[in-house]
Amino acid sequence: MADSTAHVSRSRDLDKLLLRPGHLVGPTFEPGPELRDDLRKFATVLVVGAGGLGCELLKDLALSGFKNLEVIDMDRIEVSNLNRQFLFRLQDVGKPKAEVAAKRVMERVSGVNIVPHFCRIEDKDIEFYNHFNIIALGLDSIEARSYINAVACSFLEYDSDDKPLEETIKPMVDGGTEGFKGHARVIIPGVTPCFECTIWLFPPQVKFPLCTLAETPRTAAHCIEYAHLIKWDEVHSGKAFDPDDPEHMKWVYSEAVKRAELFGIPGVTYSLTQGVVKNIIPAIASTNAIISAACALETLKIVSGCSKTLSNYLTYNGAEGLHTKVTEFVKDMDCLICGPGVLIELDTSVTLQKFMDQLQEHPKLLLSKASVKYREKNLYIQAPPVLEELTRSNLNLPLFDLMGKIRKDIVHVTGTTTNNDKKTSCLRKLRVVFKGIDGATDMDTAGGA
Amino acid sequence: MDGEELTEQETALYDRQIRVWGVDAQRRLSKAHILVSGMKGTVVEFCKNIVLAGVGSLTLVDSREVTEEALSANFLIPPDENVYSGKTLAELCCDSLKDFNPMVRVSVEKGDISSFGGDFYGRFDVVVISSCSFATKKLINEKCRKVSKRVAFYTVDCRDSCGEIYVDLQNYTYSKKKLDETDECQLQYPSFEEAVAIPWRALPRKVTKLYLAMRVIERFEEAEGRNPGEISIADLPGVLKLKKELCDAQSFNESHVPDALLERLVSDTSEFPPVCAILGGILGQEVIKAISGKGDPLKNFFFFDAIDGKGIIEDISNPNPGS
Repeated sequence: MADSTAHVSRSRDLDKLLLRPGHLVGPTFEPGPELRDDLRKFATVLVVGAGGLGCELLKDLALSGFKNLEVIDMDRIEVSNLNRQFLFRLQDVGKPKAEVAAKRVMERVSGVNIVPHFCRIEDKDIEFYNHFNIIALGLDSIEARSYINAVACSFLEYDSDDKPLEETIKPMVDGGTEGFKGHARVIIPGVTPCFECTIWLFPPQVKFPLCTLAETPRTAAHCIEYAHLIKWDEVHSGKAFDPDDPEHMKWVYSEAVKRAELFGIPGVTYSLTQGVVKNIIPAIASTNAIISAACALETLKIVSGCSKTLSNYLTYNGAEGLHTKVTEFVKDMDCLICGPGVLIELDTSVTLQKFMDQLQEHPKLLLSKASVKYREKNLYIQAPPVLEELTRSNLNLPLFDLMGKIRKDIVHVTGTTTNNDKKTSCLRKLRVVFKGIDGATDMDTAGGA
Repeated sequence: MDGEELTEQETALYDRQIRVWGVDAQRRLSKAHILVSGMKGTVVEFCKNIVLAGVGSLTLVDSREVTEEALSANFLIPPDENVYSGKTLAELCCDSLKDFNPMVRVSVEKGDISSFGGDFYGRFDVVVISSCSFATKKLINEKCRKVSKRVAFYTVDCRDSCGEIYVDLQNYTYSKKKLDETDECQLQYPSFEEAVAIPWRALPRKVTKLYLAMRVIERFEEAEGRNPGEISIADLPGVLKLKKELCDAQSFNESHVPDALLERLVSDTSEFPPVCAILGGILGQEVIKAISGKGDPLKNFFFFDAIDGKGIIEDISNPNPGS
């Protein structure tokens, strides 16, 4: 089979988008076979998550002509995944999702190379994420999305007119689903709102007040959480509750039933108990297919600039008939993540240790256990112990010296922050400006040096 | 699966979706029999979704052999010539689909879809056809309507990066839960022949151009004796001529069917994978709704265009009841 014939028919549909100009193309779009070939050979896309959305994304991107994909997921396959994560079979239960997904897609689509990463997203160095042209997210939590969003936005740099520098923009496409509902959004850091800019969209997370659980339950969920959060510790003090242990789950269920009977509350079932305790998200194959395909389409458009991208948030609801809407949200100019960075003004004498102490107190940050990175260098790193030891000596040195004695620049810090009583790991971009330095030495020169 | 209750295996596998549509709907799904014809990219996506959902059985019809074009949008076919050589599209897809869910009975029916009689169609609860000519669509739709029990009928087609779904649920009653009460809803669907016979002048002014363009191309392929999709840019003059004739015959302004759109649809008839996934997902949803009797079904045409990402529902039916 001559490669050129395979080339022609396989990309015939893509050719329609990439080989001719159009009214809806972006300003930098240059149609031509080089664009189509570039897409095949050079574009690299990272798919975060190899679950319901991830499986569909990998298939769609591979079939769309992307040759270089990578996928990251820390989970192993479970039986309840099989109703929608179609790359997995019953005999795969227990194996890492990323590895099986990569293997299956490569078996079916010739010419694509997929590198799996079986680990947490936080385990990767930030530079890992910088190698990709675009990052497609198939995640199932706000925290994970926040993290990747912060990483992608950390690469963003602004010029002296506070305009984003195009070559530092790391686009993301983010999808999410629950039952018949889903969303797909395009995040172009510095241009569209990032994930944090629109975090107010989320309703407050459901948290039952302890007094309700302890004294005045009204719903089945209250009874379940009472058994899970209060009664368990009373009876099994010291022993951690394991949601994956059927014996533990059965115990919580029977206690919840007793409590429900006491208060005359209907509706406690084993299924509901699992759902409440494990925070199960109901999921079906078709919604995942639709949302992932929308994300794959946007990925293709962004990488090739061949059409107007979604601007910028699509919501889908298939529960009552069929409903989709696209909303254009606007960027938050003061965003801590995608904005020019939290301004920290320092004297040149301030040591790295003192700088880190200040981050803990700073009202916009409240960051503890900080690790500090400047350009490619780790100035101080909390873990592992061997690296901590190596960088410990920097703590007593002035940050000004460590940063090469320039007036201002971007510094990235990772650490822990407390949000609504929950400790989460986070990454923040800081704009460090040293007081009393001659303004002639500015960021652009330092960057080019 | 026979018997009223779901097995333990089914309950474990379908846990996440039972939390969406309930045990009752899942039971109905497990008793449903689906017929599918025309195994192109969109239909393949649809099959994946309903097999994963756990229908009772799925019967595939497509005696065509594998082509390069099929490989580029069909995820179920292994790209190994040693494996696919000598087998039909239906046979290859059947093998792969069985893997997705061993609890679903997937099988192949040989023969020409338009030659099967009414008793054949009576075996199914849902019929989905793709890549069929205008005449075949009408014929099979009629056969389904003649069956005494209700057979839900769908067509789905993708041209370039656009797609169309047609739905016929005949007289459809379903219940809708609103807060504390349950409403009984009734919808009356026109047959395919009735729907496309509605004069274009009688349609809402803002009706999507895609509906009109699809009908022109459908008629052209019919008139020229072509297989669906057997059309190219060289046919454009003929297509435009037919468009003018069709519009003149019903006193319809031909500028309402843009030449540029027709050119786009004849230039490339192969499918675009993400569009297949979107249409296959929506069709999957619709069939699940029809089988479970839950949720507002689509009435009666759905269009999707990847260029602007818009999905449009058009109700192409006669407003007078009883006709």
